[in-house]
Amino acid sequence: MEIDDSAVARWLEPLAPGRGDIAEVFAETRRKTIVEWRDGEPGDARVSIEAGVSARQRRGGQERLAFVSGSGEAAIREAVRVLQASARKSVLPSRPAPAPPDHAPPSSVERWVRRLEPMLVRHVPRHRFRWSHEDISRHVVPFGSSASTSTRRLFSLEGSFTAASRRGDETRNFSFHAPEADATADELRQALTAAAAARERTVPFGDGTADVLFSGATAAVLFHEILSHALEADAGETPLSRLASARISVPDLEVRDDPTRLDLFGGYERDDEGTRPRMVRLLDAGRLAASLTDRAHADARGSSGHGRRAGPADAPLPRGSNTVVSAGAATSEELIRRLGNGLWIEEIGSGTVELSSGRFRLAFPRGRRVRRGRFADEIGAGFLAGEILPALSAVEPMIGRDVRACRSLGWCSRAGQVVPVGGEAPDVIVRRLSVRDR
Amino acid sequence: MIDVDLERELERRFPGAWELYRKTADSRELETSAASRHEAWRREEGWAVRWWEGGLRFATGSDRQRLAAAIPLAGKLPARSEPAPPFPTGGVIPEGGQIPLHPDDPTAAVAAPPDVFAPLAQLVSEKSRGEAVLVTLTLRQGRAVEEIRNAAGGRVRMQSSQLDGVARALGRRGPHMCERRSVFRWDSEPDLAGVAGRLADGATLPLAARGPTFSRGAWLLDPAVAASLLAALAPLFCVDTLPLWVKRGEIASRRVTIADDASADAPCDGEGTPTRRVVLVEDGALVSRLHDLRSARRAGGASTAHGVRPSYRNPPRPGARRLFFETSGGVSPRELLGGVARGIFARALTAPVFVDLEADRYEVEFTGVALIAGRASEPVAGARVSGRISELLTRITQVATDRQFFPMPYPIGAPTVLVERVNFQ
Repeated sequence: MEIDDSAVARWLEPLAPGRGDIAEVFAETRRKTIVEWRDGEPGDARVSIEAGVSARQRRGGQERLAFVSGSGEAAIREAVRVLQASARKSVLPSRPAPAPPDHAPPSSVERWVRRLEPMLVRHVPRHRFRWSHEDISRHVVPFGSSASTSTRRLFSLEGSFTAASRRGDETRNFSFHAPEADATADELRQALTAAAAARERTVPFGDGTADVLFSGATAAVLFHEILSHALEADAGETPLSRLASARISVPDLEVRDDPTRLDLFGGYERDDEGTRPRMVRLLDAGRLAASLTDRAHADARGSSGHGRRAGPADAPLPRGSNTVVSAGAATSEELIRRLGNGLWIEEIGSGTVELSSGRFRLAFPRGRRVRRGRFADEIGAGFLAGEILPALSAVEPMIGRDVRACRSLGWCSRAGQVVPVGGEAPDVIVRRLSVRDR
Repeated sequence: MIDVDLERELERRFPGAWELYRKTADSRELETSAASRHEAWRREEGWAVRWWEGGLRFATGSDRQRLAAAIPLAGKLPARSEPAPPFPTGGVIPEGGQIPLHPDDPTAAVAAPPDVFAPLAQLVSEKSRGEAVLVTLTLRQGRAVEEIRNAAGGRVRMQSSQLDGVARALGRRGPHMCERRSVFRWDSEPDLAGVAGRLADGATLPLAARGPTFSRGAWLLDPAVAASLLAALAPLFCVDTLPLWVKRGEIASRRVTIADDASADAPCDGEGTPTRRVVLVEDGALVSRLHDLRSARRAGGASTAHGVRPSYRNPPRPGARRLFFETSGGVSPRELLGGVARGIFARALTAPVFVDLEADRYEVEFTGVALIAGRASEPVAGARVSGRISELLTRITQVATDRQFFPMPYPIGAPTVLVERVNFQ
């Protein structure tokens, strides 16, 4: 994207006359490849190359956003013209021009396609997967500060496969989301191997309450729902409102939102307002610490760098990125013994939270009953449910020492905007959650 | 406009086996709350080519140049062998078809949606007796032009316009709060009272003291709840292989007739096949299915004009376009309610409808009002109904005449529906 940033900043100047006003241009190019795989054979394949530009103005409680498909100066001009006209400022002349060519980095798609086929055939031969690979480049020109460019390359494999179990064939869901890196292939191979492992016949757990051990980094999904969302600066009234600095959980628990972790799916070098992000402690030694802010909701320290957009057609919102739970000192065996009787969960399929009431729900595809500190029956699919404050206060003061990345956590939707998120966590026990079979 | 050069180029590279799609859309959005006002203007353009070269390939771009760059990349990807389906021929190309540019006033392409926050907030407050407040209202008004060309000479251009939105309300009773969202689409005058009623009930009924006090009875579904249930069942009308529980085509009670007819929305589907009415369930029997070009080819039939494109980024796939319960033999909703000896009127969902078509299972969580002898007795904070889809559909004993359409995201029309002999949890 070759843009004369200083010229764009001059165009934006009249739109941000006051202190605290925001005027910016956001430009994105995105190259996305999707291949559907079925039983080792590629099915439908598609490639999408898109560019879009938006201009945004925010003054007090009023915000205006203009989006135009395309790239380059002509598209930026069109977007800025809309804002100027709506703000009753003098309007730039329109200068239509063909879209400039993209300078796309060399693609690794073909290499991935060659690697994936034998990997899927070997580990999960009967499957229906969708593999997607995205190259995203974003450029932000904010009035009043310097322009920035950031790039991300994201890899996702989602779908289901048929696995053997002691009760015969069964369909299992699988999802893996990671930023592209040298280790991604090995990590995927390990995840597929673990997912395809033989399992026992499942039995229902029975509706009621149970103590739950969140294993396999699934605690990252729990805290993403009940802490990260609740501490987004525009969340409105939630059970955590008016509890600043209050101790709401055990001192052993520390949860952070860390976009600087580029090894996790939700990481980035710059947020979608051009701010360099910083790690935010959500829960510090069990105390409620800070919230996630964008420029519009910034406190005295300024934006925490959590202004995120699904794409150029959307305005930025304060959103979580990577939910990171600090390690404790307990081993897995100690945690199982501490759980005593309860439910051990290693996978979570999806999660939702209603912030006003604080109720959350996590869907798990399977689990394991624990009796007297030992693994017992395999449990079939069900839901975990609870409320934010009771769940946080019911965290056991014994946290696992081994931290793992949660690769099943990938895309988070809020108000129709879907952004990549990730996390990592050790094993965590939460007492007295509602459990329901599906 | 799609130019002839591009068509010639596609025919040269993929003779007889290509389809070109272009969409331009302008929209204007207004999101209001008590303290803020957000406006957005969006001008979107998208190009897509689908072609068969060994197997199916699909490339999209936000302009012609990016489309041209995406085509060779998609061509290098592996694809399962599949012949091209027969494309629709002929066409529908009305005059005009371009969204006008306004060089002097770039905001004027689409009119602003109506600002109805204040009257809707007033209605929500009235209908909830002050227990619920409207938090945000987002309205989007837009229009789009779609063009489709194919290797068989098919030429289609369609225009559409739409006003839809989403409203969010917060109910509060003592220390307890509950939030509710309502999505709507207005084809004619804004129905503020309907949206306000749903928001008020959805945000306040879950604050009631308790759940259902009886475990079995009649289940009356509000049109919005019935529409969500129909939306969850809609994939049944498109699957290649029917689940085992669909025996001899009988899937519902004789009171149930379900059709799809998007003639009012667009003359053609996303593949250029002329829109027509398709009756899917007639007097309880599954009588037809929805097909796009590819699924019709696999089934050995013709497309039913149900190749849908949720966006230019997605290739067409079989799907419902305007799905609804037929209500010609229905009764008034008041009559339906009056006939309930004991049951629950489900006013709003408290979780997405869960449906497993293969396993013949469903689960609906909702909030509503208990009904005794045809009259509302008390609010029901939360209730759950689950079981076999096959049983649910055969226990529908009546539908009312008050059909309403909801965007899910395509229009789904449902009236108040009565289901007998339901177990509540």
